[in-house]
Amino acid sequence: MTKVWAIAWKDLRSTMGNVPGLAMMLLAPLALAGLLGFAFGGGDSFEISATKVALASEDARPAAAPGQEAPPLAGDAFAGILTSEGLRDVLEVTEAKSAAAARARVDDGDAAVAVVVPRDFTAALYGAEGQKTAVELYVDPTQEFGMAITESVVMQALLDFNGARAAATVAVAVAGGPAGNDDAAQTAAARFVQDGGVSQALVIAERAPSAGEGEDASTVGLILAGMMVFFMFFGAGNVARTILTEDQDGTLPRMLTTPTPTATILGGKFASVFLTVSVQLIVLLIGGAILFSIDWGRLDVVAVLTVVTSAVASGLALLIISVVRTPGQAGAISAGVYLVLGLLGGNFGTATDAGTYATVQGFTPNGPLLRGWDAAMRGGGLADISGDLVVPVAFGLAFFAVAVWRFRRRYA
Amino acid sequence: MSIVEVQGLSKRYDPPKGVLAVDDVSFTIERGEIFSLLGPNGAGKSTTISMLSCLLRPSGGDATVDGHSIVGDAQAVKSVIGVVPQDIAVYPDMTARENLVFWGKMYGLAGVELTSRVDEVLELISLVDRQKDRVDKYSGGMKRRVNIGVALLHRPKILYLDEPTVGIDPQSRRSILDGILTFREQGMTVLYTTHYMAEAQELSDRIGIIDHGKMIALGTHGELVKIVGEEARVDVAVDRQLDGMVERWSGLRGVSKASVEEDHAELLVDDANEVLPHLFEEAAGGGSRITSVNVSEPNLELVFLHLTGRALRE
Ligand SMILES: Nc1ncnc2c1ncn2[C@@H]1O[C@H](COP(=O)(O)OP(=O)(O)O)[C@@H](O)[C@H]1O
Ligand SMILES: [Mg+2]
Repeated sequence: MTKVWAIAWKDLRSTMGNVPGLAMMLLAPLALAGLLGFAFGGGDSFEISATKVALASEDARPAAAPGQEAPPLAGDAFAGILTSEGLRDVLEVTEAKSAAAARARVDDGDAAVAVVVPRDFTAALYGAEGQKTAVELYVDPTQEFGMAITESVVMQALLDFNGARAAATVAVAVAGGPAGNDDAAQTAAARFVQDGGVSQALVIAERAPSAGEGEDASTVGLILAGMMVFFMFFGAGNVARTILTEDQDGTLPRMLTTPTPTATILGGKFASVFLTVSVQLIVLLIGGAILFSIDWGRLDVVAVLTVVTSAVASGLALLIISVVRTPGQAGAISAGVYLVLGLLGGNFGTATDAGTYATVQGFTPNGPLLRGWDAAMRGGGLADISGDLVVPVAFGLAFFAVAVWRFRRRYA
Repeated sequence: MSIVEVQGLSKRYDPPKGVLAVDDVSFTIERGEIFSLLGPNGAGKSTTISMLSCLLRPSGGDATVDGHSIVGDAQAVKSVIGVVPQDIAVYPDMTARENLVFWGKMYGLAGVELTSRVDEVLELISLVDRQKDRVDKYSGGMKRRVNIGVALLHRPKILYLDEPTVGIDPQSRRSILDGILTFREQGMTVLYTTHYMAEAQELSDRIGIIDHGKMIALGTHGELVKIVGEEARVDVAVDRQLDGMVERWSGLRGVSKASVEEDHAELLVDDANEVLPHLFEEAAGGGSRITSVNVSEPNLELVFLHLTGRALRE
């Protein structure tokens, strides 16, 4: 075991001393991910800071109809939407005591937009047909971007309120009640809002891409994941190729003249490859997190993905080395294999969810891995990625098995 | 018991049609001696060493090293041998010290023992001062010394050196040869291969001359030169008509062999002092002038010429 580590450590050190190799393994994927991320509109450079919003609700409870409960305040539900978790990165909402106070904040430059919910908001929502009211947006004209975002969020919320009201009305009509029974509609709409139907339907972050900052980050993340896996193939290939170069340079035969079993030497080489790509991956993960603020997901999930991804990259590289004779052949053949796998597996941002292409992707060693990384970035747990790992683990094991078998025959 | 006993060892590369690189070779090496395999390029020296290092499986025959069969007990053989390959086999991007530490671990050394052995070897190969420099910054001679040092780390019972002086300056060669003589003084057995006659003559207790995979002669230097009897070699250059002269010379009494070598003739003679005057007479009679004469007493070069009819090119 000491010998296995001695070999692996030597190779790792030699990799770290090879500057062009390091650039290829570490800088290239980060640079490419940065460039592509920028091109696709993601990335740190486009990240917008949350728009400061001052919210004032003047909504008042209308008088209850006789024999009925007063409907809940729709203004509270509206405020709840604006301050919801999903929008926290986009809108930084503080509540103001009054409409005037909210506007004053915009005037003072403390907020980009003031949102004023009118006194008759609830009344209009539950009231008779034709009753109208308006939510006021008081905007700092220099904060165009913030205004556009706030406007789209408010618009979406209002559409949903209106939709809830319309749906409730129709539901009552279908139920056979007298058309235009506003009391029934009112009750239904109230319940709809009350039960959370509306607030659930209003998870705007998921429905409005233009406003979802989280999605931008995961775009770079996805691109970088693709690049990582692709360049790990090369990283693994470079180290695995030292089996052939050391054979040519005489250091491998020399190892075989020492009292070190062949299995130990090969084990050391396998460990070198695995260790190197693991380190490469970890550096890239940290680099991505620092440079592009990528949240890779839960630590346990990332750890499992790191091991499986490294194993697949190592296994493939060793397999290729075990079937070729010279380092030159190895370089040419691996470049071809990696490129084809990269294209089939979707390493270049071509991942899709359906169709023949998706099926093909599912049966490459790298395609499902990328889905795993995607799931991790969306906060998935081990259970969520386990399905994506079946094919890569199977490939990894098969690669290793064939490589061991081939090497055994060669160095017997 | 001899430390190495080789019995009918053969190696054919890529059988059945490949080169028969080693052909039924047998010899023994005694403990504490320097044994040289002398032969031209392609004679089969490296192939023999590879088989004795358990790197190549013999096509036929067997050998024991310190009592262990190279075919049946490779691990035991490997722990008593130190192998210095013909081509430098160390890591150029590592320092001498890092190389020695790494290879020491491959020989199973660790901890304090490893450190002290590395220090000792650095001293032995005179690289203490440069131990922290990368090997690719070294001269050819220094690289050769690191290459040798690696094989000394575990204090092998027998050291194999495969043409360790090829392509280096005379000073480095001298220090390597002196080093090998020191190893013998310390009781180490050495198997040395070379195509330099002078090296074999200077170093060896016994020499095996190998050509085309066959052991054609074996013995001490003294025993070997006796093969050519009392013969001496005479190199003669004449100003013209060399071909005709050689025929006249070879008819002379006391001349056993005469051949043309480029612009001079080479003769094997019983007694140079007796023959030389006749050579001049014959030359004058044939209308030629002798422009230079060189007499060499019997040596391994001559033995090789005698046995193969070819010169052992230096
Ligand atoms: N790996 C090999 N495959 C095929 N032929 C080889 C191989 N190595 C050496 N030979 C051949 O075997 C013969 C002996 O080579 P070698 O042992 O290297 O000679 P030496 O070391 O005395 O110069 C040569 O004819 C050489 O061409
Ligand atoms: Mg050789």
